[in-house]
Amino acid sequence: MTGRLKVTAQLLALAGVAGLLALLVWKLTHQQHAPAVGAAAPVFTLHRLDGAGKVSLASLRGRPVVLNFWASWCEPCKSEAAVLERDWTRYHGRGVVFLGIDYHDLAPDARSFVRHHALTFPMLEDGSGQVTGSYGISQVPETYVLSRQGRVVAHLSGPITDPGFAGRFRSALARAAAA
Amino acid sequence: MIVRFLAVVAAALVLAGPAAAACAHPRTSLAYLEGQVMCPTCHTTLDQSDSAAAHQIEVFISQKIAACWTAQRIESALVENYGPQILAAPPHKGFDLLAWWLPIAGVLAGALVLAVGVWRWSRRREPEPEAGEESGLDEETERRLDDLLARFD
Repeated sequence: MTGRLKVTAQLLALAGVAGLLALLVWKLTHQQHAPAVGAAAPVFTLHRLDGAGKVSLASLRGRPVVLNFWASWCEPCKSEAAVLERDWTRYHGRGVVFLGIDYHDLAPDARSFVRHHALTFPMLEDGSGQVTGSYGISQVPETYVLSRQGRVVAHLSGPITDPGFAGRFRSALARAAAA
Repeated sequence: MIVRFLAVVAAALVLAGPAAAACAHPRTSLAYLEGQVMCPTCHTTLDQSDSAAAHQIEVFISQKIAACWTAQRIESALVENYGPQILAAPPHKGFDLLAWWLPIAGVLAGALVLAVGVWRWSRRREPEPEAGEESGLDEETERRLDDLLARFD
């Protein structure tokens, strides 16, 4: 009886250790990384910030897409806003879709930001950060340019007003629109 | 008399403002909620964070405390906006209950294992030889030992 008890206790301890090990492996293998250039962009469906329904990335297949991750508390996002709006008005006639994705933000503050900067392209809210996580976003602003096939053409980790990024953004946008 | 009446009216008017602003329940504090709410970008509680996102939430909490919101109502509003991961502690319901009960179950199981181990160990020990029992010495040695001890008496 005691021998049986001992074996059961040992098996339980072993199962516990195996469970913890499995959790560690799962955590290590499920860490989210930014999709590489050329890779398929993670699809998502998010609510619009103004409450007027949802937008699904999959429904935009066939059109180049610019995804801009921002937040109202982010200082560089303020300087970038006007440039994004200007490029949106310039490119949306050529079929390019701009989507702003609000990152870890309070919705009323985000709506004030949109009003203050007179942004007219669609804004989506990702309060829980699930979508931003799938894009490996760790700071804002970050911008992705996606091809008509839904593949990453460019990923800019910083404001597109940054001298190092401005040229890359424009050329990626032109390439995505022309393809 | 008139001066006295005016002084009372003035005092009442001065006190009327704060009285109207008083809450019907004990007001929660920013310091308390800073320990209960996570900074979404830095994954620490607000009181450990100096980020812009944390500052934005602190301003929100301060505004709601001033508006007499309870801690629970403020937390619910934050969960609605950011999701349940904004709270430092998991909710006391559903699957999240495991996070509360598993550590307690672990401690209890550990205590049980320890108790059983101690009990078994104490039973396995050889009993002390009682007085009058065999000492394990042969008769001759025992007699000599008694003689030696008798000299010291």
